[in-house]
Amino acid sequence: MILLDTSLLDELHGPGGLKSALQRAIELEHATIPTYLYSLYSLGNSNPEIVKIILSVIMEEMLHFSIACNIMNAIGGHPTIDKPDFVPQFPGHLPGDVEANLVVHLRRFSKDHVFNTFMVIEEPEHPLNFPAALAATRLTIGEYYTEISKQIENAGDGIFTGDIKKQATGFGFSAKELFAIHDVETARNAITIIKQQGEGTTTTPKDEADEFAHYYRFAEIYHGHHLTLVPDPPPDLPPDKKYRYDGPMIPFDEKAVLPVIANPKQSIYPKDTQAHYLNNNFNYAYTSLLKCLHVTFNGHPERLGVAIPIMLSLRELAMEMMTIPFKDGENAGPSFEYAPVNPQGPPGP
Amino acid sequence: MSYLNPLRFHFFGKFQAAVSTVNNDPLHFNNATFKKEYQERAEGPTKGWWNPRGDANWRMIGCKITSAWMDVDKHAAPDDPVLQCSLADSDLTVAAKLVDLDPAQQGVSEIWGLTIRIADEAGNTLMAAKYETAAFMNLWLRWPSGGGDKSGGAMYQSVLKEIEWGAIEESPFLLALRAAATDGLLSIKFNVDAFDDDFKSPTFTLGRIAGTIGPATATGPKHFVVGRHFMTTALPGLGFFNPAGKVNFCDAVVNEKAGKIFLDLGNSLPTVTCGGPFSNLGTLSLACECSDANGLPSLQSLGNVNYQASGWYERTSGVVILPEDRKLTPGELKAIAQNQLVIMLTDASSNSSPAIWESPGGLYARADQFVYRLNPGEAAEIQIYASVLGQPYADATIVSYFDNTQIGGGPQVGVPASALQFALLSTTDSNGRASLKVSAQNPKNPRGYIDGQVYGIRSVLVDTLPPAMGYPFNQSEFVSFLLLDEFVADPPVWYGCLQPVFQQYSNLYPIMDRFLDLSSYESICENVIPLQAAFGLAVSDPNSMPITRDLSASKRKAILQWLKNPGPDGKPLLGPVPPPVTTVAEVAETSGNGSVLPEKPGGKLAAIARVRAAQLRRFKR
Repeated sequence: MILLDTSLLDELHGPGGLKSALQRAIELEHATIPTYLYSLYSLGNSNPEIVKIILSVIMEEMLHFSIACNIMNAIGGHPTIDKPDFVPQFPGHLPGDVEANLVVHLRRFSKDHVFNTFMVIEEPEHPLNFPAALAATRLTIGEYYTEISKQIENAGDGIFTGDIKKQATGFGFSAKELFAIHDVETARNAITIIKQQGEGTTTTPKDEADEFAHYYRFAEIYHGHHLTLVPDPPPDLPPDKKYRYDGPMIPFDEKAVLPVIANPKQSIYPKDTQAHYLNNNFNYAYTSLLKCLHVTFNGHPERLGVAIPIMLSLRELAMEMMTIPFKDGENAGPSFEYAPVNPQGPPGP
Repeated sequence: MSYLNPLRFHFFGKFQAAVSTVNNDPLHFNNATFKKEYQERAEGPTKGWWNPRGDANWRMIGCKITSAWMDVDKHAAPDDPVLQCSLADSDLTVAAKLVDLDPAQQGVSEIWGLTIRIADEAGNTLMAAKYETAAFMNLWLRWPSGGGDKSGGAMYQSVLKEIEWGAIEESPFLLALRAAATDGLLSIKFNVDAFDDDFKSPTFTLGRIAGTIGPATATGPKHFVVGRHFMTTALPGLGFFNPAGKVNFCDAVVNEKAGKIFLDLGNSLPTVTCGGPFSNLGTLSLACECSDANGLPSLQSLGNVNYQASGWYERTSGVVILPEDRKLTPGELKAIAQNQLVIMLTDASSNSSPAIWESPGGLYARADQFVYRLNPGEAAEIQIYASVLGQPYADATIVSYFDNTQIGGGPQVGVPASALQFALLSTTDSNGRASLKVSAQNPKNPRGYIDGQVYGIRSVLVDTLPPAMGYPFNQSEFVSFLLLDEFVADPPVWYGCLQPVFQQYSNLYPIMDRFLDLSSYESICENVIPLQAAFGLAVSDPNSMPITRDLSASKRKAILQWLKNPGPDGKPLLGPVPPPVTTVAEVAETSGNGSVLPEKPGGKLAAIARVRAAQLRRFKR
């Protein structure tokens, strides 16, 4: 579970706190995406069921990112996306995370990585198991969103002064998920979507759209079986006993995973190697995506239609790179670094 | 006004062209005979050549602005920020795309969806503009001792439009450039060579680029310079154009006000090694052929070109201003206005010989845009500019005729001729300009498995036609057409209708399998919304689908109609399963998979070899 420092609440409750908190939320929603993408890319064209599940989570992270940006715009704020420190360091902690035991890596796909990183990132706050001692100084991402929602409610409809035309809707997201936010109620509904898709609810692993929350989808991959309802459950069965990971198999062909290195950096790729040029191209395209999203959520929502293809192009660039042998039997991989010029910085060794 | 302007800057670096190679072989278009191994990377005609999984991306890589000129003799100040800038591509979209016109015309690869930026060291945009799609021209053997596509060089010229200027207040050069671009246009020309098609090489898909940008005006051609045109003939051979005098086609303009000649040798000098320094051809000088005091022909030197100096190409992109150390005298300007120019080479023993002459009589005519994609019912208005010694040639007669000698490979090209209609003769106006309307009709699928047909039309001055003179026509200077078939589908369905269209794209562009399986109805059904978006984009958009820009208007309409109008099951219409195909269409001409191919086929050189082989077969018949 990602636990945030409660000092974030002081910031949230302070002047301009809502906008700062939404900026943090935007950074947090983005921060998980590179680590998911890196593992996804390493699957190449293999393991289609696993690919589908990871992609479904990534698309929802993009949705949450867009919702957070829309709320920011709704209250007259300006999301900042095209800056170097927007990109997390790998290996490193997610923004705001204080749990020293969760270091997030860019790693090839493995069930261990799903268990130790993906499921930890998406682990829901479980009231029954939630440690009281931690609660005073730590809060989950879900709780953080709850606090943001409360703060919006306290401020009232009067804060929704932003130009509604700046908000992005559509582009393949359903109108039930990505909609314009113009008052407390729409903001609250949007935040509920983020929370439920990420964590589920306290009584069911599903969100309102009847889809499993991210944690459970990753757990399906880990267990190699879909999560299914227990047949004819007795009415007094506790929520966590109503489902079992014993549905249809989710096959995993481990040998098909591309043997890519962990936590690459541009600086490790020697000058005048294919990996050097391809990684520069990847980072430039990744930075272009961030810049395009910045423009999208700062007055040009129609540009979301341009951002999505850039994101798709990253996959093609990464997968090309991941077929190139680098060293010690491992292949090259993209480093997800902020690179506004191509090539970026001094050449490698 | 063009890039050959006192106010200009030069850039130098690398480009990437990650083209896909499955579609380089016309036979690979035939769904009935397509084999999975055509998608595998390997040298040899039974595979997918050197980059079957190419994505067609075009990128500018590490292109530095190497020099900037405020005026003929005035370099931008050393502290002008422009000298720390790069010439970059878009940082807000996917990469631009490099696209062949057709497997039977791979000699005019166009760049689509390219945004050119001047970016500071932090990547901030000081200028961004859209490159008007244009193809390369004057492909030639730039590295004569080399082989394969690496040995070729070519040039691109176009305009940059929809210019957006950033924070340029600190740069006097960029302020001057903005002020000079009164029509909101810049002129760009760049040379490409040393393209690395060796997939084992560290610099695979990269090449060298050097270019120039200056102001442009809305009047006048966008893709060449009205000026003085140096023309040459080819040495015999099956490969790239190999200029008889070692120096390739080039252009110059005379700037009377400045008393200078601007000469562009950027795509005209051979190199010692691949992307290396220029071969030492001896002293290279520009001269004017005029008469001496006794009325006898004599050559008047207008200055030498120091092309062997270290860093010369990087700094100049091959653009020189002559004479270097003085202005042309009124007498010289008068002589230049009336006489042919010539580039001379002088060896160590002081033996001089002409390397390349200005066109005979200074006569020159050229179509500005030289690549067209047409649908039945559409027409192209080709702008042709005629000049004599750099001046507009008014009331000149232009003859236009089919010239299919530079295209071919696969099924026969250029038929039916009746599908393209145009006037044989046209006359230039007082500005030396003529408009040739080329109207398209349905070619009715003459090539079977390849949509539409390709044609070449050459427009020349009647004065230059034989037997009047042995005019050295530039083989590259003709207009290429891809005329697409009319496609009827009412209503469009999958089986027997759109399935073959998607199957062909799936065969030719295996990279698409990273997103979806284009050959699978189910996969398409899962991606209806993104496909609608991609097929609905303007072809000028870098993300337009298909990347190859070879989808007819009627097929595009049918695909969009099909995607947007699902049946009762919520999916695009499947239609009835057609009966199995029992015969495989034979091709009229094979694709040169035999012995005529050079040692490393699959690229531009192989395409040229196919054209040559087809010519030979026609000749033998």
